[in-house]
Amino acid sequence: MEKEYLISKWLDNDLNDQELEAFKKLEDYDDLVKLSNGAKAFKAEDFDTSKELDRVLKSIHSSKKQTNWVKPFIKVAAILAICFSLYYYTTTIDTTISTSLAEKTTVELPDASTVSLNAKTFLAYNKKSWKNERNVELDGEAFFKVAKGSTFNVITKAGTVTVYGTQFNIKQRDHYFEVICYEGVVGVTFNSQLTKLKAGDSFLIIDGGKIAKEKENSPTPSWLNNESLFKSLPFREVLSEFERQYGVTIIADNIDTKQLFTGGFSHNNMNIALQSITLPLHLTYSKNNNTITLKRD
Amino acid sequence: MEKQLHDNICEEHLFSSIFNKHSKDLHNYLYYKFGELLNPKDKVQEAFIKLWENCSKISPDKAKSFLFTTGNNLMLNEVAHQKVVLKHQQTKPKSYTNENPEFLMQENQYMEKLQRALSNLTEAQRVAFLMNRVEGKRFKEIAEILDISTKAVEKRIYGALEKLRQEIKEL
Repeated sequence: MEKEYLISKWLDNDLNDQELEAFKKLEDYDDLVKLSNGAKAFKAEDFDTSKELDRVLKSIHSSKKQTNWVKPFIKVAAILAICFSLYYYTTTIDTTISTSLAEKTTVELPDASTVSLNAKTFLAYNKKSWKNERNVELDGEAFFKVAKGSTFNVITKAGTVTVYGTQFNIKQRDHYFEVICYEGVVGVTFNSQLTKLKAGDSFLIIDGGKIAKEKENSPTPSWLNNESLFKSLPFREVLSEFERQYGVTIIADNIDTKQLFTGGFSHNNMNIALQSITLPLHLTYSKNNNTITLKRD
Repeated sequence: MEKQLHDNICEEHLFSSIFNKHSKDLHNYLYYKFGELLNPKDKVQEAFIKLWENCSKISPDKAKSFLFTTGNNLMLNEVAHQKVVLKHQQTKPKSYTNENPEFLMQENQYMEKLQRALSNLTEAQRVAFLMNRVEGKRFKEIAEILDISTKAVEKRIYGALEKLRQEIKEL
C-alpha cells in the first residue's frame, strides 16, 4: 500500500486493522509518532466553555444598560443643547449698525420706523424685545422717523429721549447733546429732568449747560441734505463735525475754538466746505494728506 | 434548504447555545493561528460581544462565519505580524519513568526544534495540523470549522507534516 495514502489515513484516524499493521511497518513510523506526540504538547490553553459563557453574558448585560439608552440620550441632549444655544444666541443678540467717517446710511427698524445715521454713528436695537419695548441705543447723530405705537426710547450716554410717533434728530457727541423735534412731541430726560419738545423745538446741552435756541423752521435736519448748518455754536463743534464728514484731522492751534459760529458747509466738496468755514473767521488753511492746519490771517 | 426557526439570535438561550457550540473551536482556531500572546480568550469574548451587538442582523446559520471572521480581524487589528508563540504545556505526556539526563536533553532539543518548525508553518497549515493532531479532530470536522473542503484540509495537514519533518531534520 502506498505510504502517502497510509499516512493520510492515519492522520484522519481512519486506519483499519490491516492498514494499521502496514502503517506500523513503515520506516517513518517512529518519526511520525514522535512528531505527533510532540505536537500534543502545544495544546491550546484549556477553554472552560461555561465559565467563558458566564463572562460574556456578564459583559453583555453590563454593557446593555449603558448602550441602550445613555448613548442616544447623550446624542439627543447634545443636539438640543446646540439648537437651544443657537436659538438663544441669534434671538437675543442686539442688531447693530454703525457708520464710519464720511458715511451715511438709513435703516428700517422692525416696525415702519426709519433711522438715518450721520457719519461715525453707532446704533443698536434688539429685534426680540422690539414688540414689548422699542429701545434703541445711540452713539452719534441720527434722524428718527418713528411710526406710531408704544413708547420709543432712544438711549444715549447723555440722556434718554422718549417719543410716541414723530420725527426728531438727536446729536450726541463729546460734551454735546442736541435734540430737535420736527413733528409730534418728544420728551427728553436729561439729568433725570424731563423736558417736552413740540415741533420746531430743540434741546441743546453743551458742556453740561443748557443753551436756548430759536425755533427750527426746516422740516428735516440739514445733514440729510448733505449739509451741516450751525447757528451760534462753538467753532470746535463745527470742526469736529467737519472731521467726521470728511474723515480728516484738523489742527487749530492758536485759534479760539470757543467763539460762536453761524454758517454751514456742504458734504460734497471739501475745498468749498473749507472755505465756507474759514473765510467768515478770517482764517487760512493748508492741506497735507488728511491733515488740515488752520491759521490766522 | 432547512427553514430557519429564528431569523436572528437576540435571545439569550440561542446565543448561549451558539456559544457552547462554537466558542471552543474559535478559541483553538485563534490560538493555533496566532499563538498565545494575543489573548485568544479575550478575542473570543470580544467576538461574541460583537455578535450580540449585531444579533438582530445575524441569522443562526451566519453566526459561525461571523464569529470566525470577527475573531480573525480582532487578532489582525492587534498586531500586524508578530511571531507566533505556542507554549509548551507543563503537562507533557510522560510515558517514560527512568529518564537519564541525556535523554531529557535530547527531548528538550526536539521540542525546541518542533516549536520553531511549527511557527514557520503557514497559518493555514498550522491551524489544520494542530486541530488534527492536538484536538484529535477528523478532516471532516476541521473542514466544517474552516469552511473548506475535506480534500483541502488533508492537503494542508499532510503538507504541514512533511514540512515539519523536513525542518526538524535540518535544524
